[in-house]
Amino acid sequence: MSEELQLKIEEFLLKNGIEGKVSELVPLTGGASAETWRFTFSNKNKSEQMILRRGSGKKSPLAVLKSEEAAIQQKVKSSGAPVPEIVAISSDDKDLGDAYLMSLIPGESIARKILRDKKFSEARQKLAFQCGEALAKIHSVNLKDFEQVPKKPIREELDRLYLTYKSFKQPLPVFEYTFKWLDIQNFTTRKDALVHGDFRLGNLMIDESGLAAVIDWEMVSIGNPMLDIGWMCINSWRFGQSEKVVGGFGDLEEFLEGYSSISKEIIDHEEIKIWQVLGTLRWGVICLIQVYSHLNGDVNSLEKAAIGRRVSETEIDLVDLLFLGGK
Amino acid sequence: MIFDRPTSVELVEAVSEFLLKEIKTNLPAHLAFKTQIAINVLNIVRREQENKELLTKESKEILLNLLSNPQEANIKELAEQIAAGKLELENKELQKALIDITKKKISVDNPKYSTYQKLIK
Repeated sequence: MSEELQLKIEEFLLKNGIEGKVSELVPLTGGASAETWRFTFSNKNKSEQMILRRGSGKKSPLAVLKSEEAAIQQKVKSSGAPVPEIVAISSDDKDLGDAYLMSLIPGESIARKILRDKKFSEARQKLAFQCGEALAKIHSVNLKDFEQVPKKPIREELDRLYLTYKSFKQPLPVFEYTFKWLDIQNFTTRKDALVHGDFRLGNLMIDESGLAAVIDWEMVSIGNPMLDIGWMCINSWRFGQSEKVVGGFGDLEEFLEGYSSISKEIIDHEEIKIWQVLGTLRWGVICLIQVYSHLNGDVNSLEKAAIGRRVSETEIDLVDLLFLGGK
Repeated sequence: MIFDRPTSVELVEAVSEFLLKEIKTNLPAHLAFKTQIAINVLNIVRREQENKELLTKESKEILLNLLSNPQEANIKELAEQIAAGKLELENKELQKALIDITKKKISVDNPKYSTYQKLIK
């Protein structure tokens, strides 16, 4: 399997004018909806590490195609946000299917290591500011360059989440309450922006000096930029370090300071709370989507089965945020 | 009960211990990670077996208190009444019921979860 893939990658790169050998091809565990491979690419001039990301080619309501993801990353890179360089994009089954090749950014993406290993202690100090800064850069890109990105106005997105939740016929009173509560909240109107959609530890490459790259752009959309800010501040992405609101490593003030070093948008804490509630609910519905893809027999997976019992984590976070002064 | 010991809880415990002590330690990182998920799942089953009677009984009392009609005292009905606006969002008893029932669920699913630990302190 991997030898065949090795040859296919070499052929595809050659077609793109890049001649050389592929070796040390290894699968990486990563996102659930795509396969990821790492390999060494070498020719007489250089030897470098690259990544292959490959999707099923099926359109999904949550994720854009890999080829689209790559095209978006290429354009974001010109905004100055840290994004890995795309080497080549495939959208043809004769090539690599729906896939792209990118250069490997050295660093760590596993949240627990980033939050606990000593070698990242200096990085953790700066990370909240750097994340705010990077998000603001992403949110300030010119939308004229991103016309193919799906638009997801937040009210429509909430309706879609509700229908998805209802489709599983698993009654969750806390979710019903939260949908009702969000219905009557006042979302400050903000200028549409490019929204990453899954900006959190796990999708950030971190090295000793901090944020090296923002990866995994499959949930990208055009919509309200507060979605990314709230998402980064939910307890689901603090990996046990609850007292640090931003990703388990930073404070809100530093994060917003980084954001406003680039953006003129003014964001207040009450507004963030609404988006934390929304983000927690969104993660809860994504857990349901994952567990029902197992229960419906689409994929048979222990991880997906287990994630069904993480829905109550989002419920306890929701009641904490809504009734008990949670942050 | 017609079954002999080991009880279902004791059986699940034995498998969980075996995975933890004899299997997980001899596996490469990605499989050790998956094995830990399997252990976590078995621990959910154990906690649910041990506590479900009491937790279900206590939840039923909360639901009866809120929904009064015994036929309606279930989770599905609670969800529907919230959706239909029959229970208002400001209702303190509703809020307390949601907190208490959620605590019972997470005490089985993942009692180490940070927010649960904070709330039972």
